[in-house]
Amino acid sequence: MIGQVVYFLRRALRNMLYSPVLSAASIFTVGVALALLAFFAIAVLNVQRLTASWAAELAVVAYLEQPPDGTVLNRWLSEIRAYPEVAEVTYVSRQEAYQRFKKRLGNDADLLDGLGADVLPASLEIRLKPEQREAMAAVVERLGRNKALGELHYGREWLERFEAFLLLLRTIGAALGGFLVLAALVIVANTIKLTLYARQDELEAMTMVGATALFIKLPYLIEGALQGLFGGMMALLVSFVAFRVILRESLGNILLLTGIDTIHFLPFAWQGLLVVAGALIGLLGSLLALRKFVRFCQD
Amino acid sequence: MIQLFNLTKAFQRDQNALSDVTLRVTKGEFVYLTGPSGAGKSTLLKMICCAERPTRGQILMDGRNITQLATRYIPHLRRNLGIVFQDFKLLNRRTVFENVAFPLEVQGRRRIEISKKVYNVLKQVGLEHRLSHNPLQLSGGEQQRVAVARALVVDPLVLLADEPTGNLDPDVTMDIMELFKGANARGTTIVMATHDRGLIRQFPRRVIALEAGRVVGDNQP
Repeated sequence: MIGQVVYFLRRALRNMLYSPVLSAASIFTVGVALALLAFFAIAVLNVQRLTASWAAELAVVAYLEQPPDGTVLNRWLSEIRAYPEVAEVTYVSRQEAYQRFKKRLGNDADLLDGLGADVLPASLEIRLKPEQREAMAAVVERLGRNKALGELHYGREWLERFEAFLLLLRTIGAALGGFLVLAALVIVANTIKLTLYARQDELEAMTMVGATALFIKLPYLIEGALQGLFGGMMALLVSFVAFRVILRESLGNILLLTGIDTIHFLPFAWQGLLVVAGALIGLLGSLLALRKFVRFCQD
Repeated sequence: MIQLFNLTKAFQRDQNALSDVTLRVTKGEFVYLTGPSGAGKSTLLKMICCAERPTRGQILMDGRNITQLATRYIPHLRRNLGIVFQDFKLLNRRTVFENVAFPLEVQGRRRIEISKKVYNVLKQVGLEHRLSHNPLQLSGGEQQRVAVARALVVDPLVLLADEPTGNLDPDVTMDIMELFKGANARGTTIVMATHDRGLIRQFPRRVIALEAGRVVGDNQP
């Protein structure tokens, strides 16, 4: 069994060495197609992380014109906590709001010099349970009945728009990816076809000495799978280098502004998937090419 | 060994490559198929090894009807046949040794057995010193001897040869014929297509003459 595997593997590798240019073309095509897909996946994954973190932070903020006294505040807090959709309610005093703002300004905090904490309103931050995000409008409407709560701010619409953008990004990625994978498939199939045309006499001789279809096809299938595998590995390497050199900087600069601290490369499972996808593209390409090549009999 | 009944092959509607061919080749026989180009010699050989399907008629090989043999069984049939072509059909990217070893590899024989058999058959055809060469480094005669070695290495029941000496000079032709005679003496049935009358005179055997797809003569020497 092992001897046979080695035999077929050796024949596949030898086939590749006989036509190095064609093999390199296949590997390169699969590599480029999958590298582009990987770029998209990196962008989508990181933007997805961003929206997930935003969604977790999504809150209704009620700006209070006047800070309430302790009894009123406690009444409001317990009332709001009793809402089934609400996970947490926090009171942010003027002083706390001022400190937060100062911290956010960082080096520019001196802009606030001369201003007191009373320039900022106190507020109530109401976070919903993650599964209750859809109920935000209802919660806002209920809160709005208490006129003393003043202006109510929430970012749901904006988040929804962003999620729609993410969906668009994913769709474009999938469409472009599908197109590229298909192109890679056709090119691999044609490359194998070219080698088969060049070896038609050889294939005929093989059928004449009693080789079965599988015996003849297997090295070509392995050849395609190996080319795809190498292409997948190339895509992984290229996308990793591109990630380190370009993507982390450019995508990082955009996403860092929005509060994401680090940009991540593809998770390990996805890296494996990329290489396996390469091998599958190669295998399928060879299968397509071999369909009509090995003929035992002119019917 | 081989029985053909009313074998007909039509490539085009009104033009038969073979018409109603009925003949019988017994085990261990050496038969020439002769006739001008287009007489149907190659088509007949192709039908015996199932490379072509007959339009009508039946083919029996060693008592088994192979007329409509399912494609998946064709390789198994061919493992009992040795086939030699005019243009050798060697695997030019492989060495002489690998070419001759290939039919045995296909059958899943063990390496040690393959090495022994290949060496012996190459010795028999006088090419044991060329086993590491590629076919393209050999002369035409040597290439045909490799093709004969490849056909004989499996100890075939039947050897089909389609104009095997068509491209060879007279001396090499004699060498090839001696190899066929040797194989025939060891029990292999041989069906050889040729239009070389001189050859038939030199190595007289049963001659089946074809003309325009029909058997027009069947003569014992």
